[in-house]
Formats: sequence, structure tokens, C-alpha cells
Amino acid sequence: MSNTMDGIDFAAIVDKERASKQRNWLALTAAVIISAVWVVPFYYLAISIFKTTEEYSLNHPLSLPSGLAPVVENAVTAWTHAKMGAGLWNSALYGFLGAGIAVFIAALAAYGLSRIDFKRKNLWFMLIFSGTIFPLQMYLIPLFFFYQKVGILNTHFGMVLFYSAICIPFPVLVLRNYMNGIPRDMDEAARMDGASEFTIFRRIVLPNCWGPITATFLLQFTWIWNDLLFSTVLANRAEVRSIMNALQVFQGSYSSTGPNVVLTAAVIASAPSIMMFMLLRKHFMEGMRVSGS
Amino acid sequence: MTSNGQNPSDQEILDRIGWSQIRANERKLQRKNFWVAFAFMLPAILLVSSLLLAPVAFNVYLSFTKWAKFKGIDQFAGIANYVRLGTNPFFADALYNTSIWVVASIVFPLAIGLALAVFLRGVPFENLFKNIIFIPRILAPTAVGVLWFYVYAPDGVVNRFLGFVTGGDVDIGWLYQENTVTPAIIATFVWQSVGLVMVLILLGLSAIPRDPIEAARIDGASSGQVFRHIVLPLLLPTLLVVTILSVLAGFTVFDLLWVMGASYPGQRTLSLAVFMYFEAFQKGSWAFGSAIAVIIGIVVFSVTWIQAVLQHRVDRMMR
Amino acid sequence: MKLKSLITATVTACLVTAGSLSASADDVELVHDKGFWSEALQKVGDSAGEKTGNKIIESAYSAPEQYKAFIQSSVASGDMPDMFTWWTGGIFAELVETGAIAELDGIWEELIASGDFDPSVRDFYKVGDHIYGVPLHLSRWIALYNKKQFEEAGISEPKTWDELMAAADKLKAAGFTPFHATTQDGWRGFIWFQEIMLRTDPEAYKGLHDGTVAYDSDAVRNAFKIWSDWYAKGYFSDPRSNEEAADFARGKGAIYLIGDWAIGLVEAAGMKADEEFGAFIMPNQDPALPSSVIIEGGPIVLSKAALDKPDVVNALKYFVSVDGANAWAAASGNALGNKNATPPNSVVAKVNADVDANGTLAFDRWWEAVPADIQGEAVAEFNRFMLDPTMETAESVMSNIQALNAEYWANR
Repeated sequence: MSNTMDGIDFAAIVDKERASKQRNWLALTAAVIISAVWVVPFYYLAISIFKTTEEYSLNHPLSLPSGLAPVVENAVTAWTHAKMGAGLWNSALYGFLGAGIAVFIAALAAYGLSRIDFKRKNLWFMLIFSGTIFPLQMYLIPLFFFYQKVGILNTHFGMVLFYSAICIPFPVLVLRNYMNGIPRDMDEAARMDGASEFTIFRRIVLPNCWGPITATFLLQFTWIWNDLLFSTVLANRAEVRSIMNALQVFQGSYSSTGPNVVLTAAVIASAPSIMMFMLLRKHFMEGMRVSGS
Repeated sequence: MTSNGQNPSDQEILDRIGWSQIRANERKLQRKNFWVAFAFMLPAILLVSSLLLAPVAFNVYLSFTKWAKFKGIDQFAGIANYVRLGTNPFFADALYNTSIWVVASIVFPLAIGLALAVFLRGVPFENLFKNIIFIPRILAPTAVGVLWFYVYAPDGVVNRFLGFVTGGDVDIGWLYQENTVTPAIIATFVWQSVGLVMVLILLGLSAIPRDPIEAARIDGASSGQVFRHIVLPLLLPTLLVVTILSVLAGFTVFDLLWVMGASYPGQRTLSLAVFMYFEAFQKGSWAFGSAIAVIIGIVVFSVTWIQAVLQHRVDRMMR
Repeated sequence: MKLKSLITATVTACLVTAGSLSASADDVELVHDKGFWSEALQKVGDSAGEKTGNKIIESAYSAPEQYKAFIQSSVASGDMPDMFTWWTGGIFAELVETGAIAELDGIWEELIASGDFDPSVRDFYKVGDHIYGVPLHLSRWIALYNKKQFEEAGISEPKTWDELMAAADKLKAAGFTPFHATTQDGWRGFIWFQEIMLRTDPEAYKGLHDGTVAYDSDAVRNAFKIWSDWYAKGYFSDPRSNEEAADFARGKGAIYLIGDWAIGLVEAAGMKADEEFGAFIMPNQDPALPSSVIIEGGPIVLSKAALDKPDVVNALKYFVSVDGANAWAAASGNALGNKNATPPNSVVAKVNADVDANGTLAFDRWWEAVPADIQGEAVAEFNRFMLDPTMETAESVMSNIQALNAEYWANR
């Protein structure tokens, strides 16, 4: 797979000509001004978590903090009051299991849809893919009552189950297209030798698909990690709620904690996904690419 | 499988090669293949149909019933819930704001993303700037909402900046007033999502062949002309995909409205998605809420349909 | 094989986490939506474990609307939590009418016989002929005031409406903001409305809640006029604060109208009770009217099935016992109406004394008394007024709420 983008390095752009030096200076100034729209909020975030509530309320929002120490207390307050430990653990569990199971099941289905010949393939593909064309709001009420009835409302199991289901359709699309492009000679040879279909899937097709599998896994993991809606509706109890739910509630219901503490909580809640992005940037960008085409 | 051009009767040939046998075998193989493939698809089919498709069907059914709050007993109510939409004082506003979101999430991310992609090419340190603009995309909308909630606060960064520019005290309650709340949240949405749009457009630009551009240059075309007549048409498929991605994202946005709209008294009217949540979960009007969900579904389907039509046209144009 | 181990891990993890949610047999779960009291409730729960052997395990729902939906659906499916918190008023009657809630008449007989509770508290949880709840907390809605600012403005606790007005003027003249009110969290808009209604026309205030008085009637318009007038005079603090209690502690408003549960929040924000802030009951506009105060009494209820479980009944009884009330007061600053328990702080003790001295009458809080169906929309309308406190907005707020109100009562 040719990877045109190494990280966020978009080298292969049509027009590589550099304009004249003067134009460069003008453009640079303009770019700095434009990027300030993105830099300033982050700068504000970065300094606010180092302020005490008192310091925050008295000073200009963009003024530098007087020291770095308050971040510890802010983090401790956020951590204990918003029960962030439980939230992070729950979200990690939902993300890894939900996305992992979904992508594995999607790979299975994609194998059936791409490497085996049978009639009306498209119909079956559409059946699975149709799970992603409805707005999320249409799932909420029935799932809420169904989960309550079956007794899996507010359980880890119920959340993993739902996330596994909702994260299947998109990877099926991506993996089916990808598997269609892998040459078939190996399968046929293996079949001749009497290998079972599952063996072919596991030994031949799957090892060739780690790229798109990782990319879709990361996309789905991020989706689950970022999800607020379903974790609010299906797992609202403090023991099972997600980190995003914890963050949203923390912002709303703590009249005695200042913005500095809530912003610290936002940083804690985002840190894992940012770190994952930094570590696996290549795969993330690959995921963006497949989702855009 | 080539025939060698002699002339025995068709039937003879078929008999000679055992055609009926082959056909029977093939059908058997097809059937066997189907069941093997089905076994591979089964987990996906089970999960998708029980947890996604069945709820959608039930939601549609629910929208035609009347539910008692605590009992959950349902009676068939016909289109009563849909009639109620017409008389509800908040539905029209929610629909109006939703359509603003649809339009805004087509126009702004695309226009700004395209402008940034074109502008940043060739600027010194261009990768640094692209990275900076892309970063918010990594964050969860909930976290972004929390950040901007405070950025928009009455004594927050936005008002301080405006105060600095105008030289006076600016005290706008961005997230508290009807006329500013939706634009403010849309701005945050664009702030977060334009990075991805820019990246995708850059990918599309990089796929455009250089030859026609250079040929046009040699013929004396200005860069504006090159852009309009060569780059833009070739970029059209990318732009279309990007538009669809951002309009669906913008249309179904919930987290940002939930977090940033919390201080606005008319929060329930910020979009159909929020309105539905309020009716169903805050008021316990389950059947009414599911009718709103159906309306949301209809709007999503119309947008998807328009996309399919446009996609088809562009595909034909490109050929 | 990576995938195989992934699947094994999945299955085990699901089994383990499913198992970890069930607690020990003697433990009793208290389901609630007051996440901000989680730690305090758990302290009471732990002390229940020490004293009775039935530890209470608190389990918090994060969002009130999700919590209501959860209880609704669990009543519908017949699989309810044994012990959970709820609200009084119309929404309480709705819950009781399902027949799924246990009658606590027997428990209340004991509570009154022991002298712990006044019968008036019991009546708070009465629906029809029976009692269905015990107090989680019993809070009076009082005016907290900044003692330092009162001193600098040269005023003392206002005893009459005229004194209140004079106090506001003097505070304003001394450079302070007299009244503190915000729209934080979206539910606070009713606070000053209910107070002004109660102080100007208590009969109309009651009438609002049974549909006999309209939200666009003259009594309501009069209340809005007073409210709008106070805003025009600059009496109120910025309604857009998201740190209400902290802002009161910072001196951004001198008189803070709130439930007495907020005393703990103000103390946590760094203001000392009694030394730096005190409390009084708001005076009536007409001096001839009897002293009155708004009471909020969030109940704990049991499911019908739970009444047969001795562990649950034990835990409930402990919660309202003197020991339980003291543990609760120490942990959260909340009172729950047990006469033999120690008041949670000196401010509450002072208000208790005032109430006893004046024979102060108790009124339901607007939040509970208003029909649950229009509660959310109506309070959002009050918030809208606070953000734009003109009579023009007031008129549209009144007509919007009345439209909802009329529709609700017409469909009864």
C-alpha cells in the first residue's frame, strides 16, 4: 500500500513552486494570524490548568500562572470528584473490547463477502452496512427499554455489546474493499491442499490485512472513546459510566469547582487519545484516508 | 472455454461436456459456498440486526403509539405524535436550527478548508501550520465543548479579545443568547472539523495530474484560471465526499450542543437531536421522542439521497 | 494467536466485570442521582454497616433526566431498585400511583412515637391516605447573607419587606450587589420567582400548582414586575455565573437565596458559617401574612418488594435515626428533620430557632409542586427572563408557560 502521507507530512502536493521571498513573508504573517485562532484556545487551556481557582477568577484568562504547582491539586480534585479513574478504565474497556470485537467480526464478514463466491452478495453487504445509515437518535429509546428489560442496562457487558454492533458496518465496508484487492491464487492453492476456510482466513487473508485492520480499529476506538450519547443513555451510573460522561457531568454539577479544575479534567480525559494519536499517527492518517474516499 | 468452431448441435456439445452435471455441481457449490460465507457473516448479521436494525424498526413502531410514562403500555395512536409536532412550540425552532446546521456545515468547513489548503501551500513552515489546525480533530467533542464553553464565557477570551480590539468592555453572553448561541457553537464545530477537511482536500489535490496544469501554464493561463478550470473540476469528487462527511457530522452533532448549550435556556431548540433527547428522557414522552427520531431519520435519508444523486452525476462527468 | 487471546480476554473481562457489580448479601444499595453527595452518602452508608451490619452502598446516576428515565423504565419492567431517592410533589404522586412503591406507615408510626420526627414531616410524604417516603434531606429555602457586607452597609437582618428594600438600597449604595442569583445548571430560574410569589401572594402561589391560577394572571405579572424592577435597579448579580456558591463567597452578591444544603458548598468555597455569613427567612410584603418558608424534602422510597427484605428496612431506618442523621449532617451539612439529631451547623440551628419562634408555615417548593410535564420548559423560561429581565420578555415568558400549563391541565 503506497503511503503518500508520512504522518501529517503532505509532501506530494501538486504545486511545489515557492513564490518570491516577499510573498513568503506576507503569507507567513497571515498564516501566523490565522493559526492564532487555533493556538490561543490551546494556550488558554495549557495555562489554566496551572492556576488555582482564586488565581483564575481574579486574573486575565490569558495571563501566565504564578506557578506550576496548582495543577497537582486541580488534577486530584478532578480525579476524585469526577471519579475519573473509573471513567478512564471503563472507556478503555469499551474502546478496546468494543472496537476489537467489532473489527474482528467485520473481518470475518468481509472475508465471506469478498473471498467466497455466492449470489446476491450485494444484498447481504447492504444488510450489514445498513446498520450505519440511520441517525443514532433512532436507536436510543428502543435500546434503552430493551437493555432495561434484559437487565444489561448499566453493565459493562451491555456497553461492549452495543459498541461491538455499531462499530461493525464501517470496517466491513473498508475490509471488504481491501480483501477484494488481494490476489486469490494463495486461497485456491490452500483450498486444493484441503485447508479449511477459517484457516485460509486466519493464515492467508488476515495477515495481509493488518494495515486496514489497525486503521479501522483506531477509528472505531476513537469513536467509542469520544462517544457521549450512548454512554449517557445506556450506562449512566457512576461505576460504569464513560470518561466523557464523567467529564460532562463534572462540568455541570460542581458549583464549587472552578473552570481551572474542569479544564484539567478535560485534559485528563483527552490525554489517552492524544497519546495514542501521537504513537500511531501513521495508522490514524491511513484511517482518515479510508474514511474520506 | 473456447469453442473450436465445428458444427455439432448445441445439445450434443452440452451432453458431451456433461453440462447438466456441471450446472448441478455449480449450483451445489454455490449453495455450499453460500453457507460457508453465511457462517462468516453470521456474527455481524446477528449483532447488526438485533442491536441496530431491530431498534430502528421498533422506534418507527413506537412513534405510532401512545405510551404511559411509568407503565409503558402502548396503544396504537396513529399519526397523533406527528400531529403533535405541528403544535409543539419548540419543534419549529429545533427544525430551523437544524437546517442552519446543515447549511453551515456544508458551507464553512468546505470554504475554509479549501481556502486553507490552497493558501498554506508554499507558506514557510507549512507543515507546522497544518498540524496546528489539525490538532483539535484528535480531541473528543465533549472536551472541545468544555474548552470553548469557558472561552466564550462573559469574561472569557473571546470577549477580552473583542474588548481589546474595540477598546471598550465587551460583555456578550455568547452561549446565553438566542442570536449568538448557534453561530458560536457552529464556529467551534468548524474550528474542530476544518483540519480534517483541509487534509482530505490536500490529498485530493495531490492526486491531480500535473500535465494539464503545466500545459495550461505554458499556454499562458493565470493561476486563477488554472484553479477554476482545471484544479477545481478535478477536485470535485473529493469536495463532494468532504461535503457529505461534514454535513452528516454537522447534522448529527450532539455532544457540542449538549455541553456548550447547557447554559442556554432554549437548549432544547438547538437541534432536533437535542429536542428528541429532552422530550424522551427529560419528559418521558417516549412515543413523541421516537417520532422526532423518525423525522431526523427522514432528513438524514434525504441528505444521503441528494448525495447519491450528486455522486452519480460527478462520476459520469469524470468519465 | 493474537485474535484467540483477544477473544478469551474479552469473555473473561466481561464475566469478571459483570460479577464485580454484585455486592455482598447484607449490603443494601441506595440508588440516587445526587452525584455531588456520593462521598457523603457513602460515609453514612459505612456507618450504617458499622452500627447495623447492613452497609449502604450508594450508586449514583449522573444525570437527573437519565435517572428519571431509568426509574420509569424499571417500574415498567418490574425490576426496580430496592431503595432509591425521588422528589416530592406531582412526580411523587405519579410514582406512587404505579403501585410499585412501598407504604411506610408502620415505619413512620415508630419514628413519631420515638419523638424523632414531627408529624408535619410525615405529611410531606403522604399521597392519598398513606406515607411512601422518608426524608433524604429536609431543607428550608432561606436567604444566606454576607455579614461583612451587611456590616459595611450598616444594616441587619431585614424583618419586614420595607426593611428588605431599604437593605437592598443601602447595599447598592455601599457598592455591593444586593441579590445573588444565577441560571447555573439550568434549573435555578424558579428560585426568585417562587420567593416573590410566596411573599406577595401566597394563595396565588398555591393556585399555580393546581391549575387554578394562570401564569399570565395579574398575581404573576405583579411578581414579574417586582423582579424586573429589581433587575432594573441593578440589585442582582450576573445570572451567567457558573460558580454560584463560590461567587457568593467572593462577595459578588450579598443575599443568596438557596436551600440550606448550599451552606456546605459556601463553606467549601472558603466562607465561614456564622462568622462570615448568616441566614434569615425572607419577610412577607404584607406584614399581616403569617411567616412562611419554602421546604424541599427529597424522599428516599422503597419498592414494594423491598419492604419484605429486613436488610433494606434496617438500612432505611438507620438513615433517619439519630445516628444516621448525625452522620449525614457531619458528612454533608444536610438535616433530615430528626428533632433529636444535632443540627448540621449553627446557621441551620439559628433558622430552626426562628421557625420555632414564629410558627413559620411550610410551603412546597415550586420545582416539586409544578406538574412534572412542564417543569423543565417552565424553568427554562424563567432562566430566559433572568438573562433578559425586561417586562417584554416577562410577558412572553408568562404566555409561553401558561400555554404549556393550560395544555397540561386541559388534558388531565
